[in-house]
Amino acid sequence: MNHFEVFGLAPALELDVKALEQKLRELSLEVHPDRFAQADAKTRLAALEKTTALNDAFKVLKDPVRRAFYVLKLKGVDLENESSAAQAKMPMAFLEEVMERREQLEALKAQKDVVKARAMADGIEREKQAALEHAKAALGRDDVGEATHQLGRVRYFTRFVEEVEALEEEALS
Amino acid sequence: MAYSEKVIEHYENPRNVGTLDKEDPNVGTGLVGAPACGDVMRLQLKISDDGIVQDAKFKTFGCGSAIASSSLVTEWVKGKSVDEAVTITNKEIAKELSLPPVKIHCSVLAEDAIKAAIKDFQDKRAKRQAQGAPAEKPQATTQP
Repeated sequence: MNHFEVFGLAPALELDVKALEQKLRELSLEVHPDRFAQADAKTRLAALEKTTALNDAFKVLKDPVRRAFYVLKLKGVDLENESSAAQAKMPMAFLEEVMERREQLEALKAQKDVVKARAMADGIEREKQAALEHAKAALGRDDVGEATHQLGRVRYFTRFVEEVEALEEEALS
Repeated sequence: MAYSEKVIEHYENPRNVGTLDKEDPNVGTGLVGAPACGDVMRLQLKISDDGIVQDAKFKTFGCGSAIASSSLVTEWVKGKSVDEAVTITNKEIAKELSLPPVKIHCSVLAEDAIKAAIKDFQDKRAKRQAQGAPAEKPQATTQP
């Protein structure tokens, strides 16, 4: 069963997270261990597995980025899997751009210029959202190649923003 | 996940971090990356006219294993001929650093980076020879 099926849903890029959370509560109650306290081991194990599946699925589906990566995975490209993702090469111009920006960020880090680093991160966050929208549009028309490329960009942008967040944490400590 | 001692050693004391002049006709630049980690690795080799790797520099933004893999290969390629350097495999790198299966792709990146750097050097040289011109003139950059 895939993560969508656990919730009785068809794969979708847009989900009502509030409704999903409500559904999680309902389905979790149905398989709550307390209800099966007297049942045999096989039944209790099945209930436990269902609970785990629900929680795992919810974690992925509630997050629009992870959800998009998951839809791509259902279409055959697993960008979470490091060995197969290594095959999905990013274009040289993009790698050059990433390298250049990471070097800029490195310089800002050395100067402890958190303000400029945050400004860069905000710009990149906007690019990340745009790439995510492109990826979703590509997934919608079954263009797996373009979706892979755009979600690859999302991954790089995410790393960059995380790097700035770590820098901000450091500045606070 | 626990890193091996060798990975930590390279991560804390990376060898040969830096840049070489990419317009230098004797410098080959390899730039690679994989979206699994969102990491990017640049390896530059300075290769003599008789095909010996004289210097190597790297810059990697990525996890500890990616940094260690690139640091290690800069040590390995120095003094080697181009023909020897291209035979370095990701398996040797992974073995030396005791990389766990989920980090094998970092060693693959490092191997790809060596090959890309050497190819860049060879392309430059072929271009130079085709033009039959001295190579002082820098090529147009493709910086955005």
